[in-house]
Parts: sequence; C-alpha cells; structure tokens
Amino acid sequence: MEQDFLLLLPVFFPMAAGIFVAVLSGTKAGRRGRRLFVAASLILEIVFTALCLAGEGRSLVLWRLTEELQIYFQVDGMSRIFASLSVFMWLLAGIFAFRYMDHEEREDRFFGCYLAVEGALAGLSFAGNLISFYLFFEMMTFTSLFLVFHEGGRAAILAGLKYLFYSVAGAFMALFGIFFLAGFGGLGYFAPGGILDGASLSGHTGLILASAFLLVVGFGAKAGMFPLHGWLPTAHPEAPAPASAVLSGVITKMGVLGIIRAVYYVVGVELLRGTWVQTAWIILALITIFMGSMLAYREKGLKKRLAYSTVSQVSYILFGLALMERTAFVGAMLHVAVHSLVKNSLFLGAGAIIFQTGKKRVSELAAVGKEMPVTLWCFAFASLALIGIPPAGGFVSKWYLAEGALASGTGAFTWLGPVVLLVSALLTAGYLLPIVIHGFFPGTDYDYGSLKKREPSLLMTIPVAFLAAGALVLGMFPGVVVNAVTRAAGGIF
Amino acid sequence: MSGNGMLLFLAAWPMTAALLSYIIGRFSKKSRDFFADGAVLLEFAVLLGLLLAGVLAWGGESGAASGFVVSEFCWEGFCGLGLHLELDGFRALYGLIAAFMWLMTTVFSREYLARYRNRNRYYLFVLLTLGATMGVFLAADLYTAFIFFEIMSFTSYAWVAHDEKEAAMRAAGTYLGVAVIGGMVTLMGLFLFYHVAGTLEFSELLPACRALWEEKQGTLYLAGGLTAFGFAAKAGVFPLHIWLPKAHPVAPAPASALLSGILTKTGIFGLLAVSCNVFRHDPFWGMAVFAFGMLTMFGGALLAVFSVDLKRTLACSSMSQIGFILVGIGMQGLLGEENALAVRGTFLHMVNHSLIKLVLFLAAGVVYMNLHQLNLNEIRGFGRKKPLLAFCFLMGALGIGGIPLWNGYVSKTLLHESIVEYGALAAEGLSVYGTAAFWKGAEWIFLVCGGMTVAYMTKLFVALFVERSPERQEEFDTKYGRYWSLESKLAVAVPALLLPLMGMLPGLVMDPAAELGAGFFGGGASARPVRYFSLENLSGGLVSIAIGALIYFGVIRTALMRKRADGVRVYVDRWPAWLDLENLMRGVGRGLLAVSAVLCRALDRILDGSVVFARKTTHRQLKEDKIQVSRNRLAYWTGCFLEWNSDLLNKTVRRKRPVEKAYVRRLMEFEEKTVRTNRIINESLSFALLLVCIGLIVVLLYLLWIR
Repeated sequence: MEQDFLLLLPVFFPMAAGIFVAVLSGTKAGRRGRRLFVAASLILEIVFTALCLAGEGRSLVLWRLTEELQIYFQVDGMSRIFASLSVFMWLLAGIFAFRYMDHEEREDRFFGCYLAVEGALAGLSFAGNLISFYLFFEMMTFTSLFLVFHEGGRAAILAGLKYLFYSVAGAFMALFGIFFLAGFGGLGYFAPGGILDGASLSGHTGLILASAFLLVVGFGAKAGMFPLHGWLPTAHPEAPAPASAVLSGVITKMGVLGIIRAVYYVVGVELLRGTWVQTAWIILALITIFMGSMLAYREKGLKKRLAYSTVSQVSYILFGLALMERTAFVGAMLHVAVHSLVKNSLFLGAGAIIFQTGKKRVSELAAVGKEMPVTLWCFAFASLALIGIPPAGGFVSKWYLAEGALASGTGAFTWLGPVVLLVSALLTAGYLLPIVIHGFFPGTDYDYGSLKKREPSLLMTIPVAFLAAGALVLGMFPGVVVNAVTRAAGGIF
Repeated sequence: MSGNGMLLFLAAWPMTAALLSYIIGRFSKKSRDFFADGAVLLEFAVLLGLLLAGVLAWGGESGAASGFVVSEFCWEGFCGLGLHLELDGFRALYGLIAAFMWLMTTVFSREYLARYRNRNRYYLFVLLTLGATMGVFLAADLYTAFIFFEIMSFTSYAWVAHDEKEAAMRAAGTYLGVAVIGGMVTLMGLFLFYHVAGTLEFSELLPACRALWEEKQGTLYLAGGLTAFGFAAKAGVFPLHIWLPKAHPVAPAPASALLSGILTKTGIFGLLAVSCNVFRHDPFWGMAVFAFGMLTMFGGALLAVFSVDLKRTLACSSMSQIGFILVGIGMQGLLGEENALAVRGTFLHMVNHSLIKLVLFLAAGVVYMNLHQLNLNEIRGFGRKKPLLAFCFLMGALGIGGIPLWNGYVSKTLLHESIVEYGALAAEGLSVYGTAAFWKGAEWIFLVCGGMTVAYMTKLFVALFVERSPERQEEFDTKYGRYWSLESKLAVAVPALLLPLMGMLPGLVMDPAAELGAGFFGGGASARPVRYFSLENLSGGLVSIAIGALIYFGVIRTALMRKRADGVRVYVDRWPAWLDLENLMRGVGRGLLAVSAVLCRALDRILDGSVVFARKTTHRQLKEDKIQVSRNRLAYWTGCFLEWNSDLLNKTVRRKRPVEKAYVRRLMEFEEKTVRTNRIINESLSFALLLVCIGLIVVLLYLLWIR
C-alpha cells in the first residue's frame, strides 16, 4: 500500500502551531502578531485538508505495534464530510474569537488549545481504524478540556472536570467495546458494511451486540446521548462563546462520527438491524430528543438553553443513524451539517450578545433586537432553521429523517419517531422564538430614548451571518450534501 | 428550473421588494411608501396580464374545462423535493384578488399608520407575506404549498404583534402557537402522504390515492385529517379558531383586512387541495368537513352576535363565513359528480368574503384611526353625518348579510341550493348520509346563521351610523370633518362599489368567474344556469332576513343591552368568560408541559444524582471546610522576605513613593487557591483512575477466563 505522508500535515500542523502559540506567549509578539499567526494557521489548515481530500484513496500507516495495532489514516466519504465541516467551523469560530477574547485573559493558551483540538479533529476524520480513532478521541477530549477550563473560576474548573469524567467514562465504555471486538477482526481498517470476521462470529452474537451497544453509548457520551448527556449543559455555559460554539457544533459531531465508524464501518448494520441494540438505541435517542427540548424550554440561562438544545438536536442525528435506513442516514448526515451551522451561529450570536450587553439570562434580553439588529436577525434565521421552518435547513433534514423512519420497518417507531421529532420541533419553537420575539417586540412600555446601538464589530457579525445564511441556503439547495452523502453511503446499505 | 418564470416572479418579487423597501425606508419614509405601492401595483399588473393572457390564449376550444390555459413552473431540487408552481383559472383569479386587496390595504396603510412606530418593519412583513401568500395560491403540490404556508405564518406574526401592546403580544403568541402546532401536524400528514402515495403533486395524488384506496383507506384518512389540521387552524375552523377573534382585532386595520380576507383563504386553499384531490367526491370526507363547517358557521355567528367590539365582531363574522365555505366544500364531497352548484357556491363565497371583509375592516380602520377605540359604546354615533363612510360600510354589511342584489346573496344562494339538492336526494333515498329530516334541519341552521349575519351587521351599522353617542356626539359631528384622506377614501370606496356591481349582474360577473375557477375543484359538468332572482331562490334570502330581524329585535336590543343608571341603553358583553376556549387550551398546554418537564428533569438528574448520592454515602470524600492550608510554608517565608525587602526599599530608595506591601497576604491567598484547586483535581483524578483500574481488572478477568 502506498504511504501518503501528506495526511500527516492537517493532523500535526495545527498541533505544532498550537504549541507554538502557547509557548510564544512569553515573548512580546503582541496580540496582533499572534492573531495573524492563528488566522494564517486556520487558513493553511483548510488548504492542507483540501489537498488531502482531493485525491482518491489516500492512506498511511504511521506506526505499527503489532499487525493488528496500527495507527492508520485513510480518506473516505465520511472523512470528507467531517473534515471539511470541522475546518470551516474552526475558521469561522476562530475569527469570532479574535474579538471575543478581548474580554478574556490568557488568550495565548486559548488559541494554543484551540489549534491543537483542530489537529485532533483532523486525526479523527482521517483515522482509518478503531485504535487510531480512539487515540485521537482521547486527544480531543484532553485538548478541548482546556477550552472549558479557560475562565479559570471554580465553576469553570468543576464544569471542565465534569466534561472530563463524562468523556472519559464514555471513551472507556467504547474502549471495552473495542477490546471485545478485537477478537473478531474489529481492529482492521474501516470498510463500509462492516469488517468483522464472519467465520468467528457464530455463537458470539450476544457479545458482539453487547460491545456494539457499549460503543454506541460510549461514543454517544460525546454526542450528548442520554444517559451520558450531563456534561453538555454544565460545560457549554462555562466555556467562552467560541469554544462552546465548536464544542456544541463540531465536537459533539465527533461522537456521531465515532458511532458511524463503529456501527456502519466495523460491526455492520446487517448484524444489528432488528436486534435489541437497535431498539434500545432508538429508545435512548428518542428520550434524549424529547428530554433535551423540554429542559431547554424550561431553562432560563441563554447558553444553557442552547446547550440543552444541542442535547436534543444531536440525538436527531443519532435517531436517524439508529434507524439503519438509507433515507434516514441521508437525513442524519444532512442534520450534521445543519446543526453544526445553526448551533455555531446561535452560540456565537449568544456570545456576541453577552459580549456586548453582559446579559446572560433570557428574561433580560427584551429589546436586544433594537440594539443589535444584525446579530438578532441572524439568531432568528438560525432559530427558524433549527425549528425546521421551510425553506431553512432543519426542515429538509427532518423531512428525510421522518421519511426514513416511516420506511424503516422498525415497528411502532416508524410513526413514533416522526411524532417525537415534531413535538421536539414544537418545543424548539417554544424555547427559541420568545428570545427573538422579545428582542424585536419589546412592548409599548419600552423607552426608545434609552436605545443605544450596540452592534458588535464585523469580526463578530460576519461569522454569525455567514453561518446563519449557510443554514438557510443549505435548506434551499440541499442537493450538494445529499449527493455527497449518498455517494459515501454507497457501500453501507 | 423550467417553465414559465413569471410564476416564480410572482412569489419572489414581493419578497425582493420587501428587502428593497426596508433599505429605502432607512433613508426616506415617503419614498418607501410610494415604492411599496408601486411594488404591489406591479404584482397586480403582472397577474392581470397573466390572467388575460391565459383566457385569451384558450380561445374557446373544448376540452379544457375551465377556459384557461394552464402554465407551470418547476424548480427541481429546491428544498429537496423541488418547487412546483402552477397557474390555472382559479389561481389566477384568486391571486388577482389577493393582489387587489394588498394594493388597497397598502394604499390605506399610509394614513392609518402615520403615527405608528416601526413602520419599516410593517412594510417589510406586509410585502414578504404577499410573496408567501402568492406562493401558496400558486403551489402545484402540497410540498410547495407547505413551504410558503409556513413562511406566511411567520411573516404575518409581525402584523399581529405590530402594536406591541400586551393584548397584541398575547394574541400574537396564541396565533403563532396555533400556527406552529398546526404546521407540525400538517407536516406529519405530508410525511404520511408522501410515504404512502409516493407523491405530493396535486395532479398525481388523486390517481395514486385511488389506486391505494382499498388497502390503505385508514392511513389516507389519517394523513388527510392531519394535513387538513394545520390549514384548518389557519382558516379558523372550530375548535382551532381560538386565535382568530383575538388576533384580528389587535392587528392594524389594513393587516386585519388581509388576515381576515386572504390569509384565512390560504387555509381554505389547503383544505381544498386535500378535499378536491385526495378525497374528491368522497362522501365520508365531505360529511366530516360539512360537520365542522356547520359548527364553525354557527359558533362564529354566535360569538359575533355577542361581541361588543367592532373589529372583534368582524373577526367572528369571518369565522362564521369560513364555516359557510366549509359547508360548500363538504357538500362538494357529498354530492359527488353532481357538485357543480357547491363548487360555484364555495368559490364565489371565498371571493365575496375576501372583498367584503376588505371593505368592512378598512371602514373599521377609519373609525379606529380617528378614535383609537373599538368598543361599540365608545364609538357609537361616530358615523353620523359621514355619508361616504356609511355608504361603504352599508355595502359591506348588505353584501355579507346575503341581501338580494348584493354579492353575498349569490354565493349563499348557491350554497343553500346545494344543501336543498342533497336534501332532495335524501328524500328519494339516494343519499349516503342522513335522512330528509336531517337535511331539512341543516338547511334551517344554514338559514339561521344567515339571519344571525344580518342581525350582527345591523347591530354594527345601527351603533355606528344611526344611534347617537350619549356623551360625545357634538364632538364626533364637528371635530372629525376631515376624518380620512383621499387615498384612504379610494381604498375603501373602490372595493365597496364592486360589491353591488357583482351582486346585480351575477350572470355577467359571477358566473364566468365561477366557470374560470371550477377547474381547480374538479367539479362535475357545468351547472344549469341558476336564476338567482327567481321567487324560489329569493325566498331563502328573505327567510334569512326575517330571522335576522327577529334576532336583532328579539335578542340584541333586549337581552344584550342594558339600561345604565342615567337611562342610556348600552351594549353589554354577556359571553361567559369560562367559555373562552383560548384560556382553556392554554391551561391544558401549560399543564402538559409542567408534567413532562418534571419527568424530563428526573431523567436528566438520574446519572448526576446517583453520582452525588454515592459521594455523600459510599464514596464520601474530605469535606470542603476541613481542607487546612498550612500557613508557614514557602508562601509565608517568601512573603516575609519580600516585605522585608520592600521595607528596606521604602526606607532608602523609594522614600517618596513607598512600595505597597501586602506580599504575605497575596501570596498566601494564591497558595491557598492553588492548593484547593489541586486537591479537587487530585481527588477527582484519583477517583477516575480507580475506576479505570477496576475496569481494566474486569477486562483482564474476561480475557483470562472467558476467551
């Protein structure tokens, strides 16, 4: 097999750049220089990733402990989707952070970790077997931990630790799954449709199912699936806004990627379809969808509300994956893109509001639309996309998910799934629209004399607007993503 | 993209114009107003052109039923399933009416809104909604219809909330709530339709569903019912009408006219799309729609009779008229192939109601923009000595009351005839549902509702234009000499003049229009020409008028009025508060939310809760306050050393500007903080490591023994 060392570049370049930024802090390079360097790294990373994604069938064995234990990279359809998603989100949130971090201390450490996480994400996207995936998964946890720690107060430290424990617990559950699967050829290279050794399976179905379930629940911790969702609503509000945006928009998606790799590329859907694993997984996903929306509806803090919303929305994706059906899979992948765009936009919008006004509770946000119209307009569009109001993105992905559910032949879930999706959409409207409404319609007793324009600088509004517009455009023209996903899903079903 | 691009223009132009008007409005209010007028005028002109082109191109050949050349537009892949627009006779005519109404209301808005805040926002949403509404009416499949329908729901929210008063915000909240819930339920219906039938095209649904009819009847009814739900909510069908009597009165009058006249019709359009395609000529479906129609018709009329608020009465009247239209849709299904009368009645009543409500709401707007009051007792007598306003309002009142020679009479007669026709079938034993007596009863309810319409319109007219205000009559007569501008006059009077014109020349105006629209309904062969002014038909109208007089003098002037202490008779609202369905539904919703919130909170806390529980019991750790930080370590000595140093400095070099010395305190605080944090981390990490070790041991045991 040809060794393509180009694949190392997007993985290790940002890590090196991150270390460089963190170390540079002592010198007097100044903010400006550091930010230029970070911006250049983020853009270079996009170039490197694009280069890696351009060719067909790139792969690389980096290190070989035994014949089975290898650090191995490869590029396939899934890598393309997740890698391109994460680099773009990283750039936009990074641009936003330049201005946002003015209010924070130790921005060298922040940007250092920020870049290092990007490297781990590239490693996850390109990982070609479960061991490499696991390695970068842990690396992502430990580097992103510092993003949660960043503000340094007691609350932030505790939130970070909670994040750490949930992630580590989840990762270890996944690791158990990997151990169990190792005996059946589960450590080989990812291939659509599964790679387990058919001959050795007989008589061990129970074990295979149990380890598949462990993998799902374990990686599901990162994706915020019940019962391991608890870290999200604690960690997101404590992290600085750009960090919570990428935590919610991108890092949770890596849990999704883990599940896709484990279920669709290692175990194979044929083994799981119709088993208790599928049933339990669907039930967990549906519980999470409803619970997340409901708690978001009851939540009063702005960022915490968005965090609960993430819990619910990422499980839309997991529900789509759990159906093990082609249309639902397309819907799930579409929702990966939509939710990523929307949630980044919402978190950055919320960050901009907090940055400019210092208001952190939903009840204080009356008339914020008069003060920061552009930001709240973006927030409104992103909200509509998340609720699933046509023609915005969430509508199309929900359409695919529901059609997939109806066609999946999973008994009562064929109709229960869409019903839960719609009820959750209703709650989504209930927890997002009041923010927009009170922002734009402050009521008759609002004093227009006290109105002060507080629109943030372009460095902040442009990323937010770009993401919100992206969610809208993706809904109107989903063809590109649908084609890419269909191509990637080719061998799976 | 393929087909006639003008159709896309019809939907997209107002939306583009909306953005342009917003930008223009940032610089000049006046040019913005003119631009908005011009934009709507362009829309109207384009539609008129398309309508004429379609009619002329047809040229009278046989074959096409509606006398109109249909044009289409397709945008594949938009939103997944693609956008599909179509222009046939019905759509062209109704689009034209919509554009006409928008034109009149936009012109009227200038004076009405002159003293409002946020006018830029108002114009933005008015134009956006125009585009969305056009999209709904032009839709050739349920998917496209739904997309525009949802956009319309959201953009029209801004109208209802525009005032930002508390009542307005509450009404708008209910409006949005009903719209979102309705939208979701409809979406579920669409999911099912697409899954079962594999298409959402109007033209393909009928054959697809007929093919499935035997095996999937139940699913199709379910899907149809769900789809109809959201549209019915927008139309204000009982019991989903809760938003309507609240939202229409609080919106600015031009917006109420549109809400009432056109937006409710988009709901009707959706119902028609389901009724006339999936369930064409299906008696069961027809009977269900008929039943809801009867309830809505009667409920709305009852609310209107009780109401003492000008705009609220008109809003309830809208609900009642929607009931009439639903009765027509129901009769279409019941009559099956022979439904030409019902088709025409339904279509013409839609047209009539739109135009009449335009006139009436704008007239009400004239009252409100002068007095800022809507209560009948407050505005009583305002219209005396204002002949033009009285004339316009009278035209609307006579039209909606179904008085012969006005347009409402024509459509109501057709609807009435269709019920009579089905009653005749029932008498012969040919009907599917009901006996002759049942249909006789239905006919009487229909006539009574017509009578109630006459009664509440009389109530409004008498209050506004005949009675004298006990306190302010002098002021009303003298102070409001110039109570409306020329533009507003035109906007109200032009549509008002149309009403008697249509009613007096039904053969010339109404019948061709009905013929043009009938294609969409999939109606049977053309009906025999109806002689509207024959004695038989007139008698129905006259019975209604008689009932109306009875109700007005027997109920409204007696039971619904009361003598005040000073001897003046005033209108009183005797509608019991506990019958307010809105509060009831809000209460139920809140209760459901509270219960599920408790459940979800419990689920949310399961894991965290058990960890906390374990830490408090089995895995108890050092208590926070027991952490002792020794105060005699490095920090203390370093601090002392530094303070000694600075003492020295203060005494020697920096005598004038002494160095502040708090090193011991600062360093010790820092140390304490670090120690505490470290201890938390250490404890937690060691706990985690412990767990990892247990896990590893389990793995080892497994590897040793099981494999």
